[in-house]
Parts: sequence; structure tokens; C-alpha cells
Amino acid sequence: MGLLTDEVRALVGAQRVYTAPEPMGAAAGRYFALAVGDANPLYTDAAFAQAHGLAGVTLPPTLVCETNQYAGLPADAEGYAGHTWGLDLPGTRQVRGGNRYVFARRIRPDDVVTATWEITSATEKQNRSGADMLVIGSKATYTNQDGELLAENEETIIFVSLATAPGGAA
Amino acid sequence: MSADIAAVTVGDAVAPLERTITLTDMVAYAGATWDWHQLHYDPAYVAAKKLPGPVVDGQVFGAYLVEALQDWLGPDSFVRTIDFSYRNLVFAGETIRCTGTVTEASPDRVVVDLRVDVVGDDGTPSRTAVAPASAEVLLGSADGTSA
Repeated sequence: MGLLTDEVRALVGAQRVYTAPEPMGAAAGRYFALAVGDANPLYTDAAFAQAHGLAGVTLPPTLVCETNQYAGLPADAEGYAGHTWGLDLPGTRQVRGGNRYVFARRIRPDDVVTATWEITSATEKQNRSGADMLVIGSKATYTNQDGELLAENEETIIFVSLATAPGGAA
Repeated sequence: MSADIAAVTVGDAVAPLERTITLTDMVAYAGATWDWHQLHYDPAYVAAKKLPGPVVDGQVFGAYLVEALQDWLGPDSFVRTIDFSYRNLVFAGETIRCTGTVTEASPDRVVVDLRVDVVGDDGTPSRTAVAPASAEVLLGSADGTSA
């Protein structure tokens, strides 16, 4: 054990806030729907969307939780251009544990997203193979330009010690 | 074709969604999400990591599961929550299948258990990509019952 250092423990409660430089846009929703092969007309057909009580096309629900559009960050050496906590734990490999999304309403093209990320927990555990793990819980809260809640995204990132860790999960 | 929402009961199966995820799909997804990490498309990068191929971005399974639920329940439904845990990496060219079962049903909401499996050429699951997973879907409106 020893992955849960005072430095890591002190990160609980840390926040990062990003506001997108422009609205999400209908094109972003149509592009995402094409990319995942989702032909739902709620994303592309305004008349269909209006017939189902919406103001117009909306974006695929999970896009707001998956995109880095709001971050406005440069790509790092591996090409990643989204939010990270910058945690560098030598002798570990990082894997994703899971996500929990809560949607308040559908995302509209004119929504300008602010994402507020916070580290909510840091816990040390051992996996079934006995490898030490540091489990970091964080939460993103997405609001729009009017302060309206759009969605929440709870994410678990796991740092697995390479000293005893077997090969991998997601 | 969408389910008859009024007839959905505990034990019903979610209409499965199956997808072969090509490298082209992965590049499109990387662009659509502003996530250009080399892990998801660069053969030299993944070879250096001793991986068998570019790795599918795990968050896409959330999109597939929501797609499966909405296709099954139709436009007058709203996925309120979805919760999913990653189990194994999925690589370019593999085929996945999203499945689920209704665990709670009422006139205004359903709760489903979900999973994503990698399936082999014979159509049988070869390993788990995502499990456990679950979702709560509100019925009666495209934007949730509170809209």
C-alpha cells in the first residue's frame, strides 16, 4: 500500500471549471450521431422533434459527457485535449472504472456548456489479484449559460500498481 | 420498431443493439468528441503498448446503451440515469452487443439492467465489455416527465 499519499488525499475537493467558447451546435450533434451510427430523428429532424414536444433538434444525450469541446485545452503529447487531474503516479497504470450519467433534460444546440469537475473521493484498495489500487472518484456538473443544470457525470479512475498487477481491464 | 410502452413489464428484454466497431467508426468518434488520444487510432502507438490493436473509447458504450434504450422505447422516452462499469478492453474491428432486462416497470418509468458483450464470429459472447450497468428511463415525454 502507499498510493494514497497526503498529496493525493489533499486533492479531494479540488475543482476545475471550463466554459465552452461557443454553443454546442446542431452540427456537433449530427456528427456524433453519425459517428455512433444512431439514426434517431430527434437529432436531425426538427419537425419530428417538435411533434414530440421539443423546441427543435436536440443532441444525443451522452455527448455532453463525452466531448472535450468545452475544455479549450491544447492536445497533450498523446493527443488528448480534455480535462485531466494531471495525476502522475509512477509504477501504476491507469484504467477507467466506470461512469454514471444523470440527465436533467436534453441538450439543445444553443446550450453553452460550463463543466465543473471536482474530485469527490480517493480510496486505496486491493483488487482480487492482490494488486494495490488507488480509486479516484470525480464528478462533472454541466450547466448552461443561464445556470440551468444539464447533466452530471460521475467517473471512476483506477491507478493499479504495476508491482503486483496482472493484465488489464478497460 | 419501438416497444409498446404501456405493455412493458418486468422481465422483458431490451431490443439488442449490435455493432461492429471499425477503425473508421473510432476515428469519427474521436473527432466528434474532441478526443484525439493515439490509443484510439494509432497502430504504432498501440503496438508500443503491446496492445493487439487500437482501443475503443469506453465512453462510446454509454452512447450505444442509450441508443438501444431509445430505439426500443421510442421518442417519447427520456433516459434519466445510466450507470456502467468497464470490464475488458475492446479493439478495432470487434463486434459488440448491448442487451438488457427490465427490472422495474410502471406507467411513467422503467429500470433496466444492461450489459455489453464482445461477440465472436458465431454470435456468442466471448468476453464482457461493460457490466454491471443499469438505467432509469422516464416514459411519456421526449424530455422527461418534468419537461
